[in-house]
Amino acid sequence: MFVNRRQFLGGAVAVGSVLALPRLALGDETNRATPKRTVVLLHLNGGNDGLNTVIPWKNPRYRTLRPSLAIASNQVRKISNDLGLHPALQGFEALFKRDRLAIINGVGYPKPSYSHFRSTEVWFTAQPEKSPTYGWIGRALDRNPTKAPLRAVAIQKEQPLSMVAERPGAVTMTEFGQFRVPGGMEAAADLYRSYEKLDGKRGEVGVAGAQALKVARRIAKLKPAGGRFYSRIGTDLRKVLALLKADLGLEVIQLQMGGYDTHNNQSASHQRLLAELGNNLNQFQAEIDKAGLGKRVVTLVMSEFGRRAKENLSGGTDHGSAGPAFVLGAGIQPGFHGAYPSLDDLDRDNFKFTTDFRRIYAALLGGAFRMDPKPILGDFKPLELFA
Amino acid sequence: MPSLLEGKAAVGHLLRRAGFGPSASTWSSWAQLDYDSAVDRALSELDEPLPPDPEGWISEDPTVDGKVWVPGAIQQLWRQRMVQAPCGLAEKLAFFWHGHFATDARKHANFRIAWDQYKLFRTKGAGSFRDLVLGVSRDVAMVRFLDGNANRAGHGNANENYARELQELFTLGIGNYTEKDIREIGRAFTGWGSRGPRFVFKKHFHDEGQKTVHGKTGNFGGEDVVDILVDLPACSRFIAGKLLRFFSHPEPSEAEIEDLAKVFRANKLDIKSTLASMFRSETFRARAHHRALVTSPIEFVVGATRAVGLPDVPSNVASTSVRMGQILFNPPSVKGWTSGKGWLGSAAIVERLRAAQLIRSAVADGLGLSPKSERYKPALAEAADRLLEVALQGQVPGDLAAALQSAKEHDRIAIILGSPEFQLA
Repeated sequence: MFVNRRQFLGGAVAVGSVLALPRLALGDETNRATPKRTVVLLHLNGGNDGLNTVIPWKNPRYRTLRPSLAIASNQVRKISNDLGLHPALQGFEALFKRDRLAIINGVGYPKPSYSHFRSTEVWFTAQPEKSPTYGWIGRALDRNPTKAPLRAVAIQKEQPLSMVAERPGAVTMTEFGQFRVPGGMEAAADLYRSYEKLDGKRGEVGVAGAQALKVARRIAKLKPAGGRFYSRIGTDLRKVLALLKADLGLEVIQLQMGGYDTHNNQSASHQRLLAELGNNLNQFQAEIDKAGLGKRVVTLVMSEFGRRAKENLSGGTDHGSAGPAFVLGAGIQPGFHGAYPSLDDLDRDNFKFTTDFRRIYAALLGGAFRMDPKPILGDFKPLELFA
Repeated sequence: MPSLLEGKAAVGHLLRRAGFGPSASTWSSWAQLDYDSAVDRALSELDEPLPPDPEGWISEDPTVDGKVWVPGAIQQLWRQRMVQAPCGLAEKLAFFWHGHFATDARKHANFRIAWDQYKLFRTKGAGSFRDLVLGVSRDVAMVRFLDGNANRAGHGNANENYARELQELFTLGIGNYTEKDIREIGRAFTGWGSRGPRFVFKKHFHDEGQKTVHGKTGNFGGEDVVDILVDLPACSRFIAGKLLRFFSHPEPSEAEIEDLAKVFRANKLDIKSTLASMFRSETFRARAHHRALVTSPIEFVVGATRAVGLPDVPSNVASTSVRMGQILFNPPSVKGWTSGKGWLGSAAIVERLRAAQLIRSAVADGLGLSPKSERYKPALAEAADRLLEVALQGQVPGDLAAALQSAKEHDRIAIILGSPEFQLA
């Protein structure tokens, strides 16, 4: 019995490997200098005001659209002849100067939805034309199956749609302690190992359970990494850092930062949000570089939409369409990508997108996962984010 | 002929599949039944009326829009019904349809709409599949989820969201329809919308033109489309396959699916008689399919609660099922929940162990004994022995028996519920 099941399992694994190996081997052989990277996805939840994040400070239309919210020219952190960063984004300016930051302008998709729920669905599935089934990360993991019991982690309470897959390999977590086998339950946990040798579903559950518990025990021992982080996003980034340093073979880590739905009096709140974002991410990238993981990690910062170009009457901004996205990492193509959307040619006060978000995903799938993006996303030309 | 489960092992198997597993309070009466009588008794639950809503649950005035979205209350009441039913087939079937016709309640965030959908699955889930699909097409949770209100004639493109999923996920399966069928069906459903918590047919938005759907042409409305779709052989095969994978075993052969599809068609798409035929089949009772399904988080927490004889899933245990990734009225996508060993990831399996311990604590608290009392340990040891009988029908795997022997009395219940055997239905 024992031998039979092993043979069966061995056979099943071999079939998977035959499919997976050429691709993997190719990746390993031809890209030895640029290994796969773990993708860190940070969702700025609520719709970040892109116009006051990457600011077209020279454009007079900016001040017309934002009579009360425009940032004074002498306050803008100018990083090019016509674009600058919000004054609170000291961290992004530092990253930009160290060639660790790519700014992608005008990111969006056709027929934008102004609903948080729907637009997040679009971003997380990368299939605007249909109702959601699997997430874009989920499809990518499904396409490249591995035996790893844990391939993707979301540092949040509910699983994001991006990770929903046919074969779940993603978990959601808030604390490492969640993974600790409760006291007195070691005896139950050990039973999974003894089930590994059984036939049928019992054997499969034994193998899956024992593997899952092995990884769980490793994660349970982790502690959030040190470093100068602060606030909620800082706390979460410390956990991301600890997971990265533990070298668990994770392919994706997703997290989110809330508070960006700034309909009223947004000046102070947006200032605080961007300061937290920039400072913590600057620290995060510095720690990654220090740990020698610079070329093993790439971070995408996105939001479900930018906000309305024209400010509202409450000192805030309403739901909009295109906005900037950011990619952080060592060995990426830093600087600006994508054209800044026109401030004159608006669609009912909203920006017309210049860069489809799926071009960023295509770049990540190719550059970080070493896989062909087409089957996952359709035909989108990858942005040149990787050398 | 396959080797069949017999006696109480077969009855226990039936209760795990047709319901949420044997419960401590009723197992002794089930255990005396022969298999066929047990099937009859399980099926009889489908003929019982839906329990009335609790007093003051939702206003009877249908124009009242349940403004406050409190999923906790309806999730809890549904779990409680799963726990307290003698077998639980009616609730299990509603749970199956909830995963099949998956909608996310956050999209409407309306108490009444979510509860109405549950009642639809509960009252129509065992009848004709045609009536069920029609009911779902008029169900406000579905209308809202798949954008029925945006599907209007004369407003550019009709919204084809429902037309696509109706075929791909609800009736036929992928590959059994064309893009043209989607467009034409979208047109047939124009005007099927909602106002507040009620379904409304908005005639002025309805496309009165000719439509061609799966080779038939006419001025079809949504009702005609449902009749056309459920009549296709692909539909009976699609549903038969799904029933087999959910209730019987994870990898049914084409022949097994076609056999059940034939039964389904012969019974004019009646779900109850199809279930009856499946439960009575040799395939269903085959030893090879004993413990062949991995329980989902809800099935696990409800099953564990029943097995130890608690009246309801303790709230801290219910929270573990959320962390394992299954939230009632909130499936992750229109494809519903996953199945199989995907439920046993690194975080989820630890949550199962934790849930097992929390249930043990609830049982220990329920003894009404001080842990210092000399009756405490023997009472817990006895409860563990009873659990072995109820949950495993006394068939204790050798390694589990050894683990229990060396474990403290205090840990035994949790070890049984956390063991690999108990994760399988």
